[in-house]
Amino acid sequence: MLMIRAIIRPEKVGVVLSELCDAGFPAVTKVDVMGRGKQRGVKVGEVFYDEIPKEMLMIVVKDEDKDDVIKIIMKNAKTGTNGAFGDGKIFVSPVEEAYTISSGENGL
Amino acid sequence: MKEVLAIIRMEMISKTKEALLKEGFAALNCRKVMGRGKKKVDFSVIENMVNGTEISSPAVAEAMSEGHRLVPKRLLSLVVADQDVKKVVDIIIETNSKGRPGDGKIFVMPISDVIRIRTGETGEVAI
Repeated sequence: MLMIRAIIRPEKVGVVLSELCDAGFPAVTKVDVMGRGKQRGVKVGEVFYDEIPKEMLMIVVKDEDKDDVIKIIMKNAKTGTNGAFGDGKIFVSPVEEAYTISSGENGL
Repeated sequence: MKEVLAIIRMEMISKTKEALLKEGFAALNCRKVMGRGKKKVDFSVIENMVNGTEISSPAVAEAMSEGHRLVPKRLLSLVVADQDVKKVVDIIIETNSKGRPGDGKIFVMPISDVIRIRTGETGEVAI
């Protein structure tokens, strides 16, 4: 199993979530986060913002579904066709075990 | 070392904290998150509750049903030694299981190193 953590623009959350649901990945957790990227933030006039509000989506999937999920997020979280700085990042990390609390079952 | 990530019901947090503390797992991190699971939430139930009198304020129902139809949850994160993972998972399942969908999920993830900022210690002693 893999956990996919995608940090995306807050305004893109709606479309990404509905596309994921349509593709058969309904389970997701959303966390409000603040952060900056390689561009060190955003400069608007004289003011430099280095804590930009973003949303982090956490999705745990089977190994073979990783590419599908990443493709969906990439496609829908992009601004315009070429994308822009600030569209976000996707991180993938291993998950060793998963349990469903209601049944105590092991597995996704 | 392993990180145990548990997504649980909002109202179960104090019971879970107590149960973990009793077994000696005091250190944890917790935050409010929004999420959805495999099973679709039946929002008509909420709408009926509003039309009845169970939820007095429509604003509450709106907050519950909007936001891309996600449900508020607590995300609990604690880092423990390898041999304690089973115990922690069992405690969380035992205190949170009501046998209904929506009770939550637990994920166990590897942690490669832990550093205590105060002293600079690394490894299991720093947990």
